[in-house]
Amino acid sequence: MFLTLPSILEKWPCQWSSGASGRRASPSFNAGEAVTALELLQRERECGSITTFSSQLDHALKGGLPVGKVTEICGAPGVGKTHLCLQLSVDIQIPRSFGGLEAQVIFMDTEGSFVLQRVVDIAAAVVRHFSLLAVDGEQKDTMQTFNMESILSNIFLVRCHDYVELQAELLLLPDFLRDKPRVRLLVIDSVAFPFRQHLDDLSQRTRLLQGLAQQVISMATRHNIAVVITNQMTTRLQDSQSHLVPALGEIWGHASTTRIILQWEGSQQVAAIVKSPCCIDTAIQYQITSEGFRDANQPEITLTNRR
Amino acid sequence: MSLPAVDVQRLTGLAHPEVHQLLTAAAHACRRHAPLSGEAVCESGLRLGVSCPVLDGLLRGGLPVGGITELSGQSGAGKTQLALQISLSVQYPVEHGGLGGGALYICTEDSFPIRRLQQMISEQANLRSEVPSSLIRGLRFSDHVYIEHAADLDSLQVCLSRRAPVLLAAGLVRLIVVDSVAALFRSEFQAEDWMERNKQLLTFSSMLHQLSQEFTTPVLCINQVNEDAMIEKNKQPLSSSVTPALGLAWANQVLVRLMIRRLQKTVSRGDQSSALRQLEVVFAPHLARSKCEVAVWREGVRGVAAFE
Repeated sequence: MFLTLPSILEKWPCQWSSGASGRRASPSFNAGEAVTALELLQRERECGSITTFSSQLDHALKGGLPVGKVTEICGAPGVGKTHLCLQLSVDIQIPRSFGGLEAQVIFMDTEGSFVLQRVVDIAAAVVRHFSLLAVDGEQKDTMQTFNMESILSNIFLVRCHDYVELQAELLLLPDFLRDKPRVRLLVIDSVAFPFRQHLDDLSQRTRLLQGLAQQVISMATRHNIAVVITNQMTTRLQDSQSHLVPALGEIWGHASTTRIILQWEGSQQVAAIVKSPCCIDTAIQYQITSEGFRDANQPEITLTNRR
Repeated sequence: MSLPAVDVQRLTGLAHPEVHQLLTAAAHACRRHAPLSGEAVCESGLRLGVSCPVLDGLLRGGLPVGGITELSGQSGAGKTQLALQISLSVQYPVEHGGLGGGALYICTEDSFPIRRLQQMISEQANLRSEVPSSLIRGLRFSDHVYIEHAADLDSLQVCLSRRAPVLLAAGLVRLIVVDSVAALFRSEFQAEDWMERNKQLLTFSSMLHQLSQEFTTPVLCINQVNEDAMIEKNKQPLSSSVTPALGLAWANQVLVRLMIRRLQKTVSRGDQSSALRQLEVVFAPHLARSKCEVAVWREGVRGVAAFE
């Protein structure tokens, strides 16, 4: 694909990021190739990000979930990890005319918690939201094709029953990504579930997890996709007091670029960004409604406490 | 697949590209099917109804067929009543909300309330007035509830690993009820043995998961509750002061968590009266948090519709 300089300048960055043509034109990361920081910054801008539909969380994450990075979402059962994943799977498909990425998603479900009914709810809410927003002709045209069927057909689902199947799927994933270049989001929900059962040998578990972490990180950078991994929480005893910490141990904590912990504080649901290279540690409130992941009702209360 | 790539290379003595080929071949062998698109997902939304339109509405059709559903509540809240009712409703054909199979009912606490079951069977025509009565008469309910008593963990293990697969494979059973999980794990372990307890819990729940997935069978586990004496942070707010027992290790394994509790009020209907109870969805992947009021009548558990 050859372009003249003016036409390159005309192109909007996010148009570069999605679709095969954009990928081919932009130089891919090659091992051993040195790049300057400026180039890297430009590439990161081109990657774009996925909105979470919670303006506070988007703001805290500087625009949304970063593409090309690994994000880990931890939380106790029932706090909304799967909901956030489903919301992201729908949000990545937002048409480009609305500033979205218009991409596809592969969802690896290890717990059996992918429920189509719920996706349909969230997708319906998103479609409704954007059909109200559509003003100019181009946006109205895209709304013709941005509907329930197209959203569902852009979600690829894999059900992994144990860690062996999960490993196998990840090994085959590069081939899949080659066939489906529009896939820009990989969700693994959850990584803890298969690894916490059937694996008695802790050192083997650590090594396997480490290998898995390397695999997803290389996938995220090489294919320029966002990776979202959910993790469970576990209790750790410290000074004869119990604390809730993310499962799978200390070493696994290095796998992700960004780590978000979802938790209950009193009657509020709070998302805390505890590890991130670009955002300060913040905690924001959110809620899970029947339409999906949203801001809490009182947006003026923003907690900022360092952890 | 259970070894890191480096180990495979060392064990087989193959070069890197060959190892990659080997792993790819192994991965293809492990894979059940290629990634499906959302439209093609044949999940079909199969649910097991609970024989009450109000409760089915609350649960959007009923219990999901793949995974563990937990029902917790204080003693006398009506957990066993609902479990009995579901083990009858599973026997209806699919178009009437059942799965056309029997139920395996594993008791760990008490002896099986057989008289109550008989009473519920005889009242089925009242409960399911929408189902043709000829169909109800044709179903032999008590023949299809398989009751097991497991007084300790070992016998539970034997039951789940030997007898349950046989019944499931023969198609006789499409529902597993464990009443209750808490009793065994609470009595056999002391507070200091929580590591061992968690390990056993994981073994137990992974067995249930396996059975549930292999035979697309719902699993209903009844759980007791803890008095919420300790003030713990980061806990999900519940509308009552109790939390389900067995802690986080168990909660991580549960797909749908329901709680039932007794309210102070009573409702009456004709010559019967019943304490009002509240069934609450604490979490579920397909539901928002919601609750509804239920009452236990002679024929079974029914939701109290809002207008009553």
